[in-house]
Amino acid sequence: MAGKIIYHRESEMPFSPVSSGDMSWNRTGTWRYIRPKYEDKTPPCNAACPAGVDIPMFIGLVGEGRYEEAWNVIREESPFPGVCGRVCFHPCESHCNRADYDEVMAINALERFVADQAPPLEPGSPIRGRREERVAVVGSGPSGLSCAYHLARMGYQVTVFEALPKPGGILRVGIPSYRLPKDILDKEIADIQACGVEIKTNARLGGDLSFKDLEEYEAVFLATGAHVSRKLNIPGEDLEGVGSGLDLLRDINLGKAVHVGRKVAVIGGGNTALDAARAVLRLGGNPLILYRRSREEMPAFDEEVSEALEEGIEIRYLIGPTEIIGLNGRVTQLECIKMELGGEDETGRRRPVPIPQSNFTLEVDTLIVAAGEEPNLTFLPEDIRVEAKMVSTDKGARTSRKEVFAGGDMAHLDRTVAHAIGFGKRAAISIDCVIRKRGVTSVLQGIRVGENGTLSMAKYLSEIARRRSPHVVAFEELNLDYFEHAERNERAKLPVPERVTDFREVSTGLTEQEALREAVRCFSCGVCDGCENCYIFCPDLSVITDEGVVKYRINYDYCKGCGICIAECPRNALSVEKEAK
Amino acid sequence: MKIHIPKEEHMGPGHLACAGCGSPLGLRLALKALGEETVIVIPASCMSIIVGPFPYSAIGVPIVHVAFETAACSASGIRASLDMQGDRKTTVVAWAGDGGTFDIGIQALSGAAERNDDFIYICSDNEAYMNTGIQRSSATPYLAWTTTTPVGNPKERPKKDMMAIMADHGIPYAAAACVAYPEDFIGKLKKAKGIKGTRFIHLLTPCPAGWRIASNESIKVARLAVETKVFPLYEIEGGEVHTITYQPKGTPVEAYLSQQGRFRHLTKEEVATIQENVDRRWDRLVKRCEGRAN
Ligand SMILES: Cc1cc2nc3c(=O)[nH]c(=O)nc-3n(C[C@H](O)[C@H](O)[C@H](O)COP(=O)(O)OP(=O)(O)OC[C@H]3O[C@@H](n4cnc5c(N)ncnc54)[C@H](O)[C@@H]3O)c2cc1C
Ligand SMILES: Cc1ncc(C[n+]2csc(CCOP(=O)(O)OP(=O)(O)O)c2C)c(N)n1
Ligand code: SF4
Ligand code: SF4
Ligand code: SF4
Ligand SMILES: [Mg+2]
Repeated sequence: MAGKIIYHRESEMPFSPVSSGDMSWNRTGTWRYIRPKYEDKTPPCNAACPAGVDIPMFIGLVGEGRYEEAWNVIREESPFPGVCGRVCFHPCESHCNRADYDEVMAINALERFVADQAPPLEPGSPIRGRREERVAVVGSGPSGLSCAYHLARMGYQVTVFEALPKPGGILRVGIPSYRLPKDILDKEIADIQACGVEIKTNARLGGDLSFKDLEEYEAVFLATGAHVSRKLNIPGEDLEGVGSGLDLLRDINLGKAVHVGRKVAVIGGGNTALDAARAVLRLGGNPLILYRRSREEMPAFDEEVSEALEEGIEIRYLIGPTEIIGLNGRVTQLECIKMELGGEDETGRRRPVPIPQSNFTLEVDTLIVAAGEEPNLTFLPEDIRVEAKMVSTDKGARTSRKEVFAGGDMAHLDRTVAHAIGFGKRAAISIDCVIRKRGVTSVLQGIRVGENGTLSMAKYLSEIARRRSPHVVAFEELNLDYFEHAERNERAKLPVPERVTDFREVSTGLTEQEALREAVRCFSCGVCDGCENCYIFCPDLSVITDEGVVKYRINYDYCKGCGICIAECPRNALSVEKEAK
Repeated sequence: MKIHIPKEEHMGPGHLACAGCGSPLGLRLALKALGEETVIVIPASCMSIIVGPFPYSAIGVPIVHVAFETAACSASGIRASLDMQGDRKTTVVAWAGDGGTFDIGIQALSGAAERNDDFIYICSDNEAYMNTGIQRSSATPYLAWTTTTPVGNPKERPKKDMMAIMADHGIPYAAAACVAYPEDFIGKLKKAKGIKGTRFIHLLTPCPAGWRIASNESIKVARLAVETKVFPLYEIEGGEVHTITYQPKGTPVEAYLSQQGRFRHLTKEEVATIQENVDRRWDRLVKRCEGRAN
């Protein structure tokens, strides 16, 4: 760049006035009274994902056809893209900003698409360093496996102990294969093992395995779930033909021969009740779901309720069982009473109140009870504190015994696969902090994504990752001028007559064309996607394009602070600061 | 949608435009489209100042500074001189304001266009004489405030239809563009570069000071001018064939007017009249595009 040009006498000047210097000597940055800065922010979907998946990042890669990289972005936070892409209740979508524009992003379908493209991991998949410390994980559900996976990737020696003959927890023995095919689960568990996690099945803590055996480990993570079915506490519960939903599903999932009758009543309104009823339908029975509150209070996920209804399963609301009636030790009838909704109970839902004299009886030959599950905590030593039938833990997933941590369904009421994965990740980070003597609280604070307890493993592990401000981007903060309306691409489902005859997967996934079309709909809220608007519209050539983690820089020598870059960024990835005087 | 523009840069920072000005952005984009082998003729206007004082220049191609009314005839002369030297590669561009084009420069421009002299004329229209302090020109919109059309003494005449006037000279190419649509603008310039004869580009360039908007609003407002159909993006080939190059959303003009201090005094009725005018002229443009004269 040419500096100042000074002519000392007239004879030095050109004969005709031809400019020979540029304007770089003129530091127009001094005109500025506001200062733009690049600052990625938190997308609402990411903050709402209990597993902490960096949604716009992976969707952006899908849009460019870079599926394996997208898969790796998800796997940075969760080892279960294929599982979650099928069974997650996708709170991310409920918080997607696109809702205010046309239709929410099909995040869940894209996650599944990415997982379905992914190759199996080679054993010995790269990890970050190697550490000699050993950690034991008890329970191989999503929570235990998530914790084990993240610790293994940090280099720890991890062994998972599982009571059942096969790993996976509820993913294996609860959710039927029409929602989660077993080969998908097998693949993702194999990928976890490829990262170095060792899984020992048929190893029950409190059975052959004792707490004493675990003392040789540096830390223990308990994630044994909630597998004890709640009783109805009405007469006749021990009659033949009466069983729990979870037992039925476990038997089906482990390939045992099961017999259900024709007239099957299922009591409950959660996922277990819905899955049990849909499984019964596929076994040739005729299920009827009885729920004591109304559809609104039903804890089962909406999608599962609507799929059950599509399949012709009848759900009767505001009905409670009062007595199971049998003949020769076998169930034959169920006596019920009609309910109405009263005041709110401790869960904030309206309490069902029986309507006097409204009793009636139903003919049934099988009764399935699915009225909720509780953890079995009988194997715990006394010094591990239990509260409200759950293991109590601090923010760092630590129990009252120093080296023992716990998470998932056994310690929380947020009982979903994504939450379980998130709790497992939290415990892994906490265990790493304790072993490496880092302050857990401040670490957890620094890697938050939004305010719902979501954590970012990418942030935890990488110093160079572009920092994101915790500010969650609202719809009003986007510049919509650069987006076009486009229909949401949803997965197809098998036609009902085909799907109810066996346990084949109901949902068929997105085609590549659909996935690509869907991916480009994402606003990438708060996360720079390199659209270049800031560079294109800066009238002062003060946006410098860099390669690497930080794509753009502002040249404060010349930036006049017009604010156009901030205004024309479609996704609020720049912020404004007052210029220091 | 993602905007794609060429990476090459023939302009540098340190220029003298106000923060948020659309003109330097327009010139920067134009140079990206036209490349290094270009000569720019600049008559008196904000741009004379923006590019910098002798012996400095913010752009990497030759500039010839000329008198206010002489953009077109200077361009004609430079073209003739290059031709005599056998240089057919260099593109000659006149870059003038609306005052320098619609008013004082129209004589020279009309003469050159009638002769079909071979240069690209870009009118950077900020809808008033901005460099001397926001006086009205014949490009100032109906009822807009300027220092010479203060509130209470409105401009009661519509904006002159310069595109029609130029097209009716029978020139090969005329196009309306806007800095908020860089790809459209660059595309038109590339097309113009491939044509011989007088090519006219009517470029809308927002002026934060004169339009009474914040510096960060200039692209937003320029975009609204297009989306409301106040400033349609189109081209006229051979003086006849009309084509709309961008289909606007048809946002009500109120959204455009209410963003700007220069229209803040308008009554509801006046806004409604402006809407009618815009709709009528849009219909006329559509008919012309369909080849139906009107
Ligand atoms: C039928 C059903 C359907 C569901 N559907 C969905 C759904 O679609 N989407 C969703 O998000 N959530 C769903 N959920 C909830 C979700 O499955 C759970 O929240 C999640 O699996 C909890 O994970 P976890 O790792 O804490 O426990 P679990 O998945 O329950 O795993 C615990 C594991 O620990 C093992 N174990 C128990 N005790 C011992 C011991 N003493 N020693 C060794 N191992 C032991 C168990 O055998 C089990 O393998 C569903 C739940 C049920 C019951
Ligand atoms: C013959 C002549 N009259 C008046 C002027 C003063 N003058 C310089 S720039 C200018 C305004 C130019 O307005 P416009 O062409 O619209 O360009 P803008 O500054 O708005 O970009 C005027 C009146 C002049 N330089 N020469
Ligand atoms: S548009 Fe994309 S980034 Fe924004 S909330 Fe929805 S999925 Fe997340
Ligand atoms: S657009 Fe350019 S000059 Fe304006 S604030 Fe941004 S970097 Fe600075
Ligand atoms: S305008 Fe585009 S490139 Fe610039 S910060 Fe925003 S998203 Fe990134
Ligand atoms: Mg002007």
